[in-house]
Amino acid sequence: MERETSTHSIGDEVIIIADHLVKTFPGPIKALDDFSVRVKRGEVMVLIGPSGSGKSTFLRCLNGLEAIDSGAIVIDGIPLDDNENNRLAIRREVGMVFQSFNLFPHLSVLENINLAQCLVRKKSKEKATETTKALLNKVGVGEKMHSYPDDLSGGQQQRVAIARALALRPKVMLFDEATSALDPEMIGEVLDVMRTLAEEGMTMVVVSHEMGFAREVSDRVVFMDAGRIVEEGATEDFFLQPVQERTREFLRQIL
Amino acid sequence: MLTDRPKTQLGALYRARNNIIPPPPDYMRSPFVSSTSIRDLFAFGLTVAGLFWLIQRGSEQLGYNWHWRQIPRYFFTLADGHFVAGPLLKGLVVTLEITAMSLVLAGVIGLVTALLRLSSSMVGRWMARVYLELIRNTPLLVQIFFLYFVMAPIFDIGRTATAVLALSLFEGAYASEIFRAGIESIGRGQWEASHSLGLSRYHTYRRIILPQAVRRILPPLTSQAVSLIKDSALVSTIAVYDLTMEGRTIIAETFLTFEIWFLVAAIYLALTLTLSALASGLERRFPRIA
Repeated sequence: MERETSTHSIGDEVIIIADHLVKTFPGPIKALDDFSVRVKRGEVMVLIGPSGSGKSTFLRCLNGLEAIDSGAIVIDGIPLDDNENNRLAIRREVGMVFQSFNLFPHLSVLENINLAQCLVRKKSKEKATETTKALLNKVGVGEKMHSYPDDLSGGQQQRVAIARALALRPKVMLFDEATSALDPEMIGEVLDVMRTLAEEGMTMVVVSHEMGFAREVSDRVVFMDAGRIVEEGATEDFFLQPVQERTREFLRQIL
Repeated sequence: MLTDRPKTQLGALYRARNNIIPPPPDYMRSPFVSSTSIRDLFAFGLTVAGLFWLIQRGSEQLGYNWHWRQIPRYFFTLADGHFVAGPLLKGLVVTLEITAMSLVLAGVIGLVTALLRLSSSMVGRWMARVYLELIRNTPLLVQIFFLYFVMAPIFDIGRTATAVLALSLFEGAYASEIFRAGIESIGRGQWEASHSLGLSRYHTYRRIILPQAVRRILPPLTSQAVSLIKDSALVSTIAVYDLTMEGRTIIAETFLTFEIWFLVAAIYLALTLTLSALASGLERRFPRIA
């Protein structure tokens, strides 16, 4: 079937392998309950589900911010295990964007984006600044290079945060409700940046409540509840012909 | 209408003082004094006058002869146009040396202890905890005597070194709790953003967490430094010739009790106020972080 929704192409190569993930929080709450998923290079996968269903936990497990109880995660051939070097290697290849931006308030926009390039990629300050300028122009906040995060609007901060994550040239980008903390009029500018990234072929795992964005940009939608996959499918099929009753109910509530 | 233009010089002065120590927001105001500026100033004037009268009457009854003219030579003398430092100035230099060294060492001990408390090593956490509890729950004077009479002979360390060590260990314990509180006050998001960018633990602390934490803890850290200056007077008990010790020596020889203690207290005050002013200047120079 010809895809109408997205304009980018997906390879056959699997870049994210998550197998039988289990994550329990004190309570005990099973945030992930034998959760398995694979993502191909260039694919845009959107995770949806009620709050507390484990979407964010899964994202945070992917780059080791949250340790899994059992299961296996392999990203671009690197296993995420107890080895600190592997963990750091994965984090270099995986960029993450947070709901609350988490820019470093004591550093200027330029320094925010330069920092990891210099420390992690060992770039010279000049080279890093070059990259930073290009990225800031790409996300449309080029003129704010010397401002501090507190002086920017929410939408600008989030776009800087995306630029910061992109500065390491990651192979995968994770978006954890990137637009949920934004005023309505700023959601569009952030989604535009994400859309551009998708069109350029970035592999993206997106937790979002923006169904319009999911429909338009994503290749695959995964519906989660209670740490398990309830239903997953190609975006068009998922929205037009959901199989599970639970999915239909959820879509009725939010659409 | 310029309603809030100062009508009198007194009013202008009152407003100027009010800016240096700003009043609390209205909802937080205590019931202690509720008055207009005039009543406030009047009450203050009355209190000062009363205190002054009490002191005046007391010292008259005591029959104390003030000899302020003799004091300057204990500070410095000019012999043939050459500047010769007096005992009080020498003592001040010793106090400055001891506090400066202790300040640096206490800072290092404080930071290292805080990092040990926050480390994954159980031994490290316990060592930090035991050190903290031992130091915070015994008197500084006893610690100084213990180090001087017990540890110094064993390890063969000198008087000044013992003084610096005692002060650093004591203030370092308090500094470590300040550091820890500052580090823990940095939101989880900052750590996660740093980790997600692939920064190591060292770089996360060095570039993200500590710069923000240190700015937040500058005020309590300054108080601790002020405490250190004041506590340094205790090292006079192990015959380190600091400002206090020199003062005591002069008094023993001359019985200029009132003058010397007034002067010594004033010098300590000048030191601590200078330090506080430096710190608040530092605070103003950096952009404020919420």
